[in-house]
Amino acid sequence: MYRLLALEFFVILFLVSILAGAVGSIVGLGGGVIVIPILTIGLGVDIHFAIGASIVSIIATSSGAAATYVRDRITNLRVGMFLELATTVGAIVGAALAAYTNSMLLELIFGTVLLISLVPLVMKIGEDIPAIPELQGLAKKLSLKGSYREVDNSEVKYNATRPGLGLVGMVVAGLISGLLGIGSGTFKVLSMDLAMKLPMKVSTTTSNFMIGVTAAASAGIYFARGDVDPMIVGPVALGILVGASVGTRLLLRAKNPTVRKLFAVVLAVTAIEMVLRAFGI
Amino acid sequence: MRLREPDAMNDLVSDVLRYGVLVSSVVVVLGVVLALAKYGLLSASDFLTYLPNQIPHGTFKVDLADLATGLLVLDPFSVIELGVIVLLATPVARVLLSVFLFAAEGDRTYVYITVTVLVLLLFSILVTPLIPIFQA
Repeated sequence: MYRLLALEFFVILFLVSILAGAVGSIVGLGGGVIVIPILTIGLGVDIHFAIGASIVSIIATSSGAAATYVRDRITNLRVGMFLELATTVGAIVGAALAAYTNSMLLELIFGTVLLISLVPLVMKIGEDIPAIPELQGLAKKLSLKGSYREVDNSEVKYNATRPGLGLVGMVVAGLISGLLGIGSGTFKVLSMDLAMKLPMKVSTTTSNFMIGVTAAASAGIYFARGDVDPMIVGPVALGILVGASVGTRLLLRAKNPTVRKLFAVVLAVTAIEMVLRAFGI
Repeated sequence: MRLREPDAMNDLVSDVLRYGVLVSSVVVVLGVVLALAKYGLLSASDFLTYLPNQIPHGTFKVDLADLATGLLVLDPFSVIELGVIVLLATPVARVLLSVFLFAAEGDRTYVYITVTVLVLLLFSILVTPLIPIFQA
């Protein structure tokens, strides 16, 4: 069998991570969907180290991409901060429960939920800007509204609706992150897109902003467990940061329906990966 | 203090993220270069977790005393770990800064929300690793 040199291992991880960072920064995820299977199936790395690397890749994607999205006023800071309440609580509870749950069963459940959520997503696949709901109740009290400028300088205004349902979705996102160390960006985007009816680019960029905090909440445990291998996370972090700077440029120019289509594809792959992992593949 | 431009908050949050990422990537690059100079032409499986079960997971526990010793001798893995810790600190710094920015805007509700997130985050990063039920 060919023995891979450390240098080659580094180059492969670096290149794969560029792709992961670019895709992740556009659709609001951490890139674990690409990094984890390459590490485990492709390079034979133990799943624990792969998840440790995924946590670092999430933080890198988030900070790298959010710096641009926040500056360009696409990310909604208030929506993000409000929903982070739910994701951090979920992440802590999930981490506490992880020892007492069957991760295969969880992967099967969450993978199936993701597959089902493809249906409403695909139903509105061509939607550009959602109809603006009236700002009322909690959403009004917390001023969960905003506007951003498209690349042609047209201003897109929006209001959030059903913040309670959004919070529930975010608790689930946090729980998954704490329980499995993966897949929480998908649930964040879905909550903002399907429940709160935010424009797709606001959903993915605000998810991007939030996943760093959710992942940081779980990171202490992975560091303490010794699951963060420097030789793996070094090239991953660098590749992700390069990829995120490419991805952010693409998102600013992309149209909402394009982002939604890419998200749907990545969601389907994430769901299938989760279900396959549940069956030990 | 009152921020002059209503949206000035975005620029400051963006700056914290940008500089956190910049500092972290410089340190990680240094660590990776050192690691490749030392191990680049060795077989990855000799010292990596490249082959499953060869190195048990839990090998890379982060210990601040070990980290400091490693940094003094420019141990590649310690340098990379330092860079990753800076990366991890970036979102925390962003939340901390937001507390002050919401306070400067006079938005009390969001000050409470952000302080709660900060406390939960610090609890999760610093305290949960010490509690046995979290050591799955």
